[in-house]
Amino acid sequence: MIITARTRRSAALSAAFLSAALVLTACSSGDVDPAAAPGDTRSIEADNGTIEVPADPQRVVTIGNTTLPFIDLGGEPVGLTAESESNVALLPEDQQATYASATSLAASADEVDLEQLASLTPDLILVQIPDAEFEAIEDELDAIAPTVFFSLDTEWKELADDIAEAGNTTDALSAQKTEFEERLASIQETYGPVIESSTFVDVIRWSSSDPGTFAIADIGCSEIARDDVGLNLPEAAEGADPLAWNSLSFEQLGELSTYDVITYPVDADGQPTEPFVPVVETNTWKALPAVTSGHALGVFCPGNNSYGSVIRYLESLDTALATLPAED
Amino acid sequence: MIEPATRNVGPGAHAAPGPRRRALGLVIALVLLVTIFVLSVMIGSTSISPSVAWDALFRPTADIDQYAIRDFRLPRTVVGLVVGIALGLSGALMQAISRNPLADPGIFGVNAGASIAVTVAVGFLGVRDIQGYMWFAFAGALIVTLMVLALGSTRQGSSPVVMVIAGVCIGAVLGGAREALQLTNSQAFDAMRSWNAGSIVGRPLEVVWPILPLFAMAIVLGLVVARPLTAMALGDELAIAQGVRLARTRVLAIIALTLLAGGATAIAGPIGFVGLMVPHVARWIVGPHQRWIFAYSVLLAPSLLLASDILGRVIIRPGEISVGVVTAFVGAPVLIALVLRKRASGL
Repeated sequence: MIITARTRRSAALSAAFLSAALVLTACSSGDVDPAAAPGDTRSIEADNGTIEVPADPQRVVTIGNTTLPFIDLGGEPVGLTAESESNVALLPEDQQATYASATSLAASADEVDLEQLASLTPDLILVQIPDAEFEAIEDELDAIAPTVFFSLDTEWKELADDIAEAGNTTDALSAQKTEFEERLASIQETYGPVIESSTFVDVIRWSSSDPGTFAIADIGCSEIARDDVGLNLPEAAEGADPLAWNSLSFEQLGELSTYDVITYPVDADGQPTEPFVPVVETNTWKALPAVTSGHALGVFCPGNNSYGSVIRYLESLDTALATLPAED
Repeated sequence: MIEPATRNVGPGAHAAPGPRRRALGLVIALVLLVTIFVLSVMIGSTSISPSVAWDALFRPTADIDQYAIRDFRLPRTVVGLVVGIALGLSGALMQAISRNPLADPGIFGVNAGASIAVTVAVGFLGVRDIQGYMWFAFAGALIVTLMVLALGSTRQGSSPVVMVIAGVCIGAVLGGAREALQLTNSQAFDAMRSWNAGSIVGRPLEVVWPILPLFAMAIVLGLVVARPLTAMALGDELAIAQGVRLARTRVLAIIALTLLAGGATAIAGPIGFVGLMVPHVARWIVGPHQRWIFAYSVLLAPSLLLASDILGRVIIRPGEISVGVVTAFVGAPVLIALVLRKRASGL
């Protein structure tokens, strides 16, 4: 088995590699490990230290942001903390069914019913919540089952690696990674000249956005478009808050006219998301050069914290880029 | 009826200026309001030249910057004007009824009623847009104020003191209930963040038109009760001696202030200090004459609101600060300074 080594925990590296060497001798990297006998364990390096987890966990509970990535990898949690209805609605049908079949332990990650959690007799608990919230329940969770904690600053690819490793779903992860790389390469090859020569801006509006405001997105799917695809998208200055956290009033929509291509959020059917509708209904939006010239692209972002959802985002981006006028 | 036009009334009152000076002051207040109104159209979180703003209003084209003026800044300014007028006049009415120079419409539970109604609408009925939940806010404000009115009315007549106590108590209960509801529904909490802070951003003119007739009715009521309220400032006995019908006057004034404050809160959310401070300043300028206080409040309150909004647009460009936050920051020190002045107004 591969051991996850977190760069910022250099002090724990040697222990992790030692554990890895021991575990590698006993385990293969398959989703279902035929060689794993009951009681076999592996060592996982996480933000709460080196954790001994079952080699092939069967009763996994997910808390916080680990739920959707684990389900995306084919995992079937026995218990979970609830996700927003809007997030669940974006999942593929089979994943929605998996989500629905699990026991909901709380409406939100900071209200976990520990008694109910214990009654599920989990053999592994995966957690990604704020550090302070985890510290408050860490001992109780540890007493119930091996608990693997990931801090909120864990980058999504690293989180996918870690969850796959802990949950023994590395085969599914490998397949997703392959598809992700192929999709990226295809987009970069097909639209290379446009990507090279154009300035892009990704705009967003959430249901919680203040009336009359929008934001320039530089996190979430926009981050994938910028860092992985290579789109020339605006980014916050080093050390500054993300641009997306800064609400801009609608009168600033006119400033989008400096960009060659605008991407905006649409639902799975290609229609502007409900929160974004007020933006596209403004006269300013309709008069933007990118909009009038067909360079405003609706892109579907079903999530950005697992390979499956990111691949669906890339598919939508691919389709959107294909609609750019021929001269591009 | 004798109007105590030349008498100083109440603790801390000072010699009132003559009618000519009051009229001159009113003209100055009007010029100030017009100036701030124009600045509100000209200044925003994005740089647009004054000539473009002028063209947007008088030589309209399909220019993007002109759209920004016509579609966003002008409606925002008009909304600020209307909300400011309503808050100013309702505050003046409130202070006159309660004979408390530091009273504001929130004391009668207007904000609490509006807030819990919006919480229910957003959190449990799925209402998301301002046009939808503003009517809940308005209804909530009206219902709570009627409850306060009922609690404060006895066989002996209406009691401002009991009304204020009832308003504070109901407001506290509803405030707690609102927080509990919002804690159990984070989506409602998120959706109400802007409304709770008090904002005039993103309110189309369509939210104003339906409320204007109610505001007009309230202003007429305010004018009707202005003279009796001035007499009541001398004390109930003297007012009765002058032929004032106390209960009728109070009920009409409360209806007027509820329509005004409820409508303003429904549109913009709870905005503090405007309804409290401006009538206070007006009384300080013109003395105890309610008609003049009302007139000054109608002109000075929107000036304060719009000036605060302009400030909120430019302080943290390209972001903005809600006008409710700015009025609190501007209003609190100004009010403290006023209260500390020996010539600060009383009733």
